[in-house]
This record gives sequence, structure tokens and C-alpha cells, in this order.
Amino acid sequence: MREKYWLWVLLVGLAIGGLLVAGCAAKGPQTVKVGVILPLTGSEAMFGAMEKNSFLMAYEELKAAGKTNIKGKEIELLFEDDQGKQDVAKAAAEKLVNQDKVVMLSGGYTSSCTKVIAGSAQSMGIPFLIVTGSADDITRSGWQWVFRGTAAPASKYTGALWDMMEKVIKPQRVALIYENTDFGTSSANAFRKACEVRGIKIVFDQAYEHGALDFKPMLANMKQTNPDVVFAVSYVMDAAMIVKQMKELDLNTNLVIGGGAGYTMPEFRENAGDASEYVTSVSLWVPNVAWPGAKEYFEKYKQKYGSEPDYHGAQAYATMYIIADVLGRAQDLTPEGIRKALKETNLTTIMGPIKFEDWEGFTNQSRPTTYVVQWLKGKLEVVWPENVASARYVFPVPRWKERG
Amino acid sequence: MHRYRIWAAVALALLALALPFIFNSPYYQHMLILILIWAALGTAWNLLGGYCGQVSFGHAAFFGLGAYSAGLLYLHLGASPWWGMALGPVVATLVSIPIGLICFRLRGPYFALAMLALGEIFRLVFLNWISFTNGPRGILMVAARPGKILFYYLALAILGLALWWSYLLIKSKFGYYFVSIREDQDAAEALGIPTTRYKLYALLPSAFLTGLVGAFYMNYVAFIEPNVVFSLGNVSVMIILVVILGGVATLWGPTVGAAMYIALGELFRAQLGAANVLAFGVLVCLVILFLPNGVVGEVDLFKRLMGGKRRGDVGGSLGSP
Amino acid sequence: MALLGQTVICGLLLGGMYALIAIGMTLIMGVMKIINLAHGSLVMVGMYVTYVCYRAWGLDPYLGMLVAMPVLFLLGCVIQHFLINRLLEVESVLPENQVLLTVGISLVLTEVIRFIFKSDYRSIATPYTGEALLVGGMSISIAMAVGFVIAMVFTYLLHLFLTRTDLGRAIRATAQDREAAQYMGVDARRVTVITFGLGSALAAAGGSLLLPLFYLWPDIGHLFTAKAFIITILGGMGSTTGALLGGLTLGVAESLGATYIGMGYKDVVGLVIFLLVLLFLPHGLRSLVRR
Repeated sequence: MREKYWLWVLLVGLAIGGLLVAGCAAKGPQTVKVGVILPLTGSEAMFGAMEKNSFLMAYEELKAAGKTNIKGKEIELLFEDDQGKQDVAKAAAEKLVNQDKVVMLSGGYTSSCTKVIAGSAQSMGIPFLIVTGSADDITRSGWQWVFRGTAAPASKYTGALWDMMEKVIKPQRVALIYENTDFGTSSANAFRKACEVRGIKIVFDQAYEHGALDFKPMLANMKQTNPDVVFAVSYVMDAAMIVKQMKELDLNTNLVIGGGAGYTMPEFRENAGDASEYVTSVSLWVPNVAWPGAKEYFEKYKQKYGSEPDYHGAQAYATMYIIADVLGRAQDLTPEGIRKALKETNLTTIMGPIKFEDWEGFTNQSRPTTYVVQWLKGKLEVVWPENVASARYVFPVPRWKERG
Repeated sequence: MHRYRIWAAVALALLALALPFIFNSPYYQHMLILILIWAALGTAWNLLGGYCGQVSFGHAAFFGLGAYSAGLLYLHLGASPWWGMALGPVVATLVSIPIGLICFRLRGPYFALAMLALGEIFRLVFLNWISFTNGPRGILMVAARPGKILFYYLALAILGLALWWSYLLIKSKFGYYFVSIREDQDAAEALGIPTTRYKLYALLPSAFLTGLVGAFYMNYVAFIEPNVVFSLGNVSVMIILVVILGGVATLWGPTVGAAMYIALGELFRAQLGAANVLAFGVLVCLVILFLPNGVVGEVDLFKRLMGGKRRGDVGGSLGSP
Repeated sequence: MALLGQTVICGLLLGGMYALIAIGMTLIMGVMKIINLAHGSLVMVGMYVTYVCYRAWGLDPYLGMLVAMPVLFLLGCVIQHFLINRLLEVESVLPENQVLLTVGISLVLTEVIRFIFKSDYRSIATPYTGEALLVGGMSISIAMAVGFVIAMVFTYLLHLFLTRTDLGRAIRATAQDREAAQYMGVDARRVTVITFGLGSALAAAGGSLLLPLFYLWPDIGHLFTAKAFIITILGGMGSTTGALLGGLTLGVAESLGATYIGMGYKDVVGLVIFLLVLLFLPHGLRSLVRR
């Protein structure tokens, strides 16, 4: 019995002691603290880790260039794990602002966590610069403390695609499939509206739950409607399952277009193998875009961490550059001073030019530059807009049986 | 003895009222509110799961219904989600009646799994019924909201209500009937206890309180989506975890368990970086292995073994005050 | 017609592999009467073992399975012997604290794997990945068909083991009535340890069969835990033929739901069938066959 008693004492002691430790943060040299909230555990941890690495890589480069020193104080990044859960994200935001006294917040990967962090930042009056969270409502709520630079609103991922649709693809019968997440439904809504305006017929329209093993029932159904173009919004591995199973079903269309995210990642190529060839996708970023530094970032990351980054990493990397730029320009390091400096941002990053503007009901939202990319001979090439294309598009794509 | 208890209760109440001023930082206040939320959820679950022995793996259904009652009022009628605090518990209770009548025919693991399935069905329906619930995009409330102190006292009131009801129920004949159903349902039935009806008497307040907390959660966090509020892993299972950590079928167990769950979870998260969930998992295993009846349950047992008094109250099968 | 055929074939093939995972769970639930929420995590660990065999030694996943099964058998025995059995001996108010222990175990397994392999998505490319036979407008994936056949072989072997060997009979006896079995001289502790090991090994086998078709990351376990429950209840606890039947039923039901109602509702179809079976056939689909 005694040992149990001691365990109990130990637990209570641990809880009290720990809370005290957490309360009295060690006082080091004066720094300018920036809080970054990312999912470092849980099912989104892969992207959280990639974004943290990119933040750190950009930080080191900036430090070497002497840009992390703001009026005699060093910028210090404080990373917090949100576990992909919204209560935890809220707790992390409260802790960073009230305990650690950060001057601004950044991060935000999943839409739900980003919404909660944004809401907290708005009510506390602390600037929040979003890295990835792309739900439309976040910058459509009139929140003046919330800024989104490197991420496009989910409904605006398809800008370049519609240009290409009108000039090259000219679809007649489109099939639309999407994951039932915030990103998926927002993208699908925007796509439906765009089709309606142009009088394009949607012959198949279905949502699915992320993580399914077998998409064949849905795809077999789709095959019967005989679409000429498929537009699919999917998470990384769902994307691979879908194109593999299209091949197995011998489902031929003129083009398969991914709505961002999943269809552009190295893991997609690895899992889908040959089936990924000619798959086209909209994208915010690819390593070989024209923006200065993009290619170098990609190579350096690959060398340093041993894996290929995708646009999520680039978003984090560019965000770190924006943060250093903003803090360097801010008149004073109060929330209001930083907010003003954010508003005046005009910086070209590896994600393109960043300017926080108010447009179409959005507040503090940078206008995204989007691309259409295509997997050609196992490499992701930019095919549209034509003036920045790294390769010529293939359209219509060969049928499965005609491929070698 | 009795007077001592009253004074202890008064002191505890005063401490609870003073806490947000002792921890005068929004971060600690947020932690306190989370503790109260989970303590209330645990206390509600304990009525059905702990005392009555009907282990539900689907309480997220009632939590989510409460939250969505508030959210949908706001979304469709533009009404203040505060009205949800009135509607949420009623909806959760009404839905719990058919659920109870159907599922109480099942026993043990079968009941647990039926509730699990129901919770998941609610999640999937709310996720896919986009025209009504806004689906995975959830409901985001954009409105000025009061400060944390008000939320704290509101949450405290909810926990107070939950504890008060639990106390009344387990002191009355209901409590004895609940425990007899848990310990041996056939014997209880043979003694003439209408078991299904009494299980329902445990479920109704449990669902009501869970729905109330759900509606409060919508007001407090201001954003809900089906995968968050109907979550099996992060709501249903964690409620049970809170109760078992603290002590099943004890009045204060869920509150102690909630304090441990939130305080230790946050401590690990803030201090251990990416290893925090691992540390928490190890801790859960250790507590259950060494304190299988939870912290409060084991303390009671400890007191009894040390020659303490034996009282006739209902509680754990091992006797507890 | 081709659509219906395609749907049913997909459902059956997938159901066969679900069944293999669920048989592991039905054994554990039958003997120990506990809900094992760590089952999906065991599948995940098994998949990682197979993955490592493939990456390190180029072992085909169907051979890697033969490595993963003994490894997971040992892991299962260790979990049962040092953790769960300890808890069975203590008196507690609710036996469900074992369930919470399995939640803890599943958290630990997931996070340990995350520590070793990070959260990256991993997959393997075998020559037969993505190959399919086209029969009359219906496509049959090679990897799925092979997986299905192997799953059926394992089920049959297990059935023989449970009905023909002493140990197998001891497991069944313990599942039926633990105390009576003990009076008959069955070492119930040993039986529970072996059962959990066996259940884990079968989970690993199911995982290995899915690896060439699917992909892998540390949180994949959750996908399987819920499915395994549903099948276990559909089939009736502790019954291998029941689990087989349950797996095939769930597979076909989900497939039909996905084709004719909508992909987003396919899991609802499975869950509703699950509830109906719980309510009207409390001993599972097996009781339909017996009647």
C-alpha cells in the first residue's frame, strides 16, 4: 500500500512543481519573442515538423545576415505544439501571449486550429501571421489583427487553372470529387460556382471521408458518367490512392486535375508511381518557380533534413522572412506598431510578392499567385501561366493502355 | 464530524470563487476553465458510467449536440449562442431518451460499443449534412465576447450543478439502485428494481449536463466543427480517462481527474516539446496500473486500510465516503 | 451490372483483409472480455516492421509478414504479461479501466513509432502495386486478390488450430468460461498471454497484407480499431467464422453504401448495420447461420 501512497504524493508534487516552473519562465537576455504554433504531434505532425524546420532554416540564414537583431535585441522563436486540437491551440496562444509575452503570433496549420488562434489573437489584440490555414472565413471575418500572406484562401487556389481551362482544356463534362474537410468543401464550392458561370456541366459531384482504403466504388460510379476532366481535392495519400485506382479501373479522361495540396507532393509520386504521370494540379509553389531563392531553399532543405519539402515548408520559410522584415521596420515593438508594419509590408519572398490588402471581402489577405503544374517524366513541372512555364503541358493525356 | 465537513465545503467554495483572482493571468484562467469543463463532463459521465456501471463510449454525441444547438441557433437564426445554453441540454436530453431505451437492452462491452457507434454516427451525419450544419467548415462565431472571469464563474456554476445533482442522487434511493445495477443487474432485477428505467434516470441528468457543457464550450471557444465536438478519441474516450484517473464512482474523483488531465497535459506540452504525448501516455499507463481505482478511489481505500471509519454510503464497491 | 459487380468484388476483397485484423481482436475480446483500443496500433507496428524489412533487406511484404508476425506475437505477449494481466488481478470498481490502459498503450506505441520514423507518409512500391486484372469491365487488383487469399488461408489455419490442438481448445474453453476452464486445469494466465500474442500477430499479418495497397504513418491505427470492433460484434465475440462473415459483410456494405448512397456516408452504413445487429442479433451474424 505504501508504494501507492508515494506514487500519489509524487503525482501531486509533480503537478504543483511543474506548474510553478511553467509559471516562472527563466529570465534570459532581452529578446524579441515570436510565438509559433504548429502541430508537432498528432496526424498532421509531418507538416508541422516540416514547417518548424523551415522556420529554423530561415532563422539561421537571417541571423547570419544580421537581420534577426532588432534594435539591439535578438528575435527568439518560441514553438508550441497544438497537437492538431483546437483547445490546445487556444491554450498555446494564451500561454505565448500572456506568459511568454510574445510580440506576435505565427503558425497555424489546420483550418480549425488556425480559426481558434485567430479568434484568440483578435480578442487579445496581438498580430497573428498565418502560415498555412486556408479556410476562407479566417480572413473574411473583418479581423484586423489577423494577416495571411503565404496562404491563399481555399476558394482562390484555382486562379491560373481557370485561365488554362478557358484557353486549353475547354472541358464539357466535369467530375468533381473532394475530401469532406474545410479545405475540400470550400474548394468544391468555389469550383462549382466557377463552372456555373462558364456553363460547364458537372456530371459527378461527391465528397468522401479522408483516409479511405478503397475509392473504387466511387470511381466506378464516376466512370459511368463519362467525364472528360476530373477535378479532385484530396489530402496527400488519398490523392495517390485515387489515381492508382483510376488506373486499375482503366478510367480514362482527358486530364485529371488536383485542387492543390495532395497532388503536388513527393509522397504522392512515391506512392502512386507510374499512375502519377500527367496528373495536373493547381499549386501555390513549386521549387522551380521564378521567385528568387525558391530553388536554393529546396536544395538546401533537402540537403539539411534529407527529405524534399513542399509548399508548406516554403510557406513557413517565407513567413520567417516576413516576420524579420516586419519587426525590422516596426516603429516600436508594441502590438499596434507591429500591426502597422505588417500592413505596410511589400516584400518578395520565395512564395512571391507579399502585400496585405483588403479585397473581395477579405481583410489583410495577400493576393495569391497560383500555378498549374503537371507531373512529367516523374518531375513536377510548371505548365501554366505559359510565361513562367518550365515545360510544355501534355493535353489531352494518353489513355492508360497507350502508356508504355 | 458533520460540522467539519460543512466548514470544509465552505472553504472549498470560497477557494473556488477566489481562484481566478489568485491566478490573475488569462492563461491560467483558461486552464482553470478547461479543468472545470472536463470536471463537469466527468461528473456527468460518472453518474451513468461510474455509479450505474453503464460505460458509455459515446458521450461526445451529447456534448456535440449541445454545442451544435448553440452553434446552429447562431448560424441560422442569428440568435446569441447564449440561448444555446438553454436549448443544448434540452436537445441532448430528448435525444438521450430513445438512445437509452434502445441501448440499455445491451450489457457490458456491447453497450459500450453501441454508444461508440452512435457517437460516430452523429459525427458522420453532422459532417455530411452540409446544408444544415455547414459540414466540415464548422461554425465560427465572430462577435465580441466577455472576459474570462465571467466564463470561469459560469463553468464553476455548471460544475456546482453537476456535483449537487450527483450528491442528491447518490444519497437517495436512486444511488443505491444505480450501484445495485452496476454490481449485479440480474440480482437487482430479481429484487424488483426496474433496471432499464433506473438506467434512464442516470442517463437523463448525465446527458443534460453533458449537453450544457457542450453549449458552454461553443460560447467559450467560439468555433466548432463535427470532428472536434463529436470526436471519439478526444472527447468520448478522454471523458472516461478523466473519471478513471480521478476515481470511478466517487463524488470528487472526476474533478481531481480533470485537474490532473489538464494540468499535467499542459505541463508536458509546454515543457517537453514533441515528446509530450508520449509522456502523457506513459503516465496514463502508470496511474492505471498502480492506482486502478483512480487517485480519489485509492485514497479512500488507503484510509480504510489504515483503520479509518467505515461508512454506509454508496460509492465504489470497495466502500468510500 | 458491371457497377454492381465491381462494387461487390471490391467489398469482398477488402472485407477479407478487414476480417484478418478483426479475428485478432475477436480472439482477444472473446478470451479476456476487454475492449482493446490498442488493436489498431498493433496493426500499425506490424506494418512498420514489414516496412523496415522491405527497406533494409528488400524483403517483399508477403515475406516481411513472416518477420512481423513473430515480432508482434512477442510484443503482444509482453503487453499482456506485464501490463494487462497485472490489472486483472486487482479489484476495481469498473473493469473498464483495462480499456483505458489500452488507450495508454496505444498512445505510447504511436508516439514511440513517431519518434523513430517521424510522421512522414511512407509507402512501398512492389512490382504488383497498382496492377489489376480486367474481367468483363470489372477490375480486380492483384495485391488485393493475393491479400484476400492469404487472409483466407490464415483464417482456415487458425480455425484448425483452435479446434484441433490442445492449446486451441484451452483458448476456446477460457473464452467460454474462464473459471470452469481453470477448474479443468487450464492455466488461464498463460492462455491470455498466448491469445494476446496471437491476436497481435494476426493484426500484423493484416497490416502487412495492406501495406502494398495502402500507405503508412504513425496514426494509421485509428482507422483499423473501429473497423475491427464493428466486425467483432457483427460476428459475435470469440468466433473466427463469425469474424470472417462480419468482415465480408462490412466490406460489401461499405462498398454498396459508397456506390449507391455516397462515399461520405459509407461508414454510416457500416455503423447502422452494426447497431441493428447489436439490437436484433445479440450473438452476431453467426446466430443466423446456426438457426
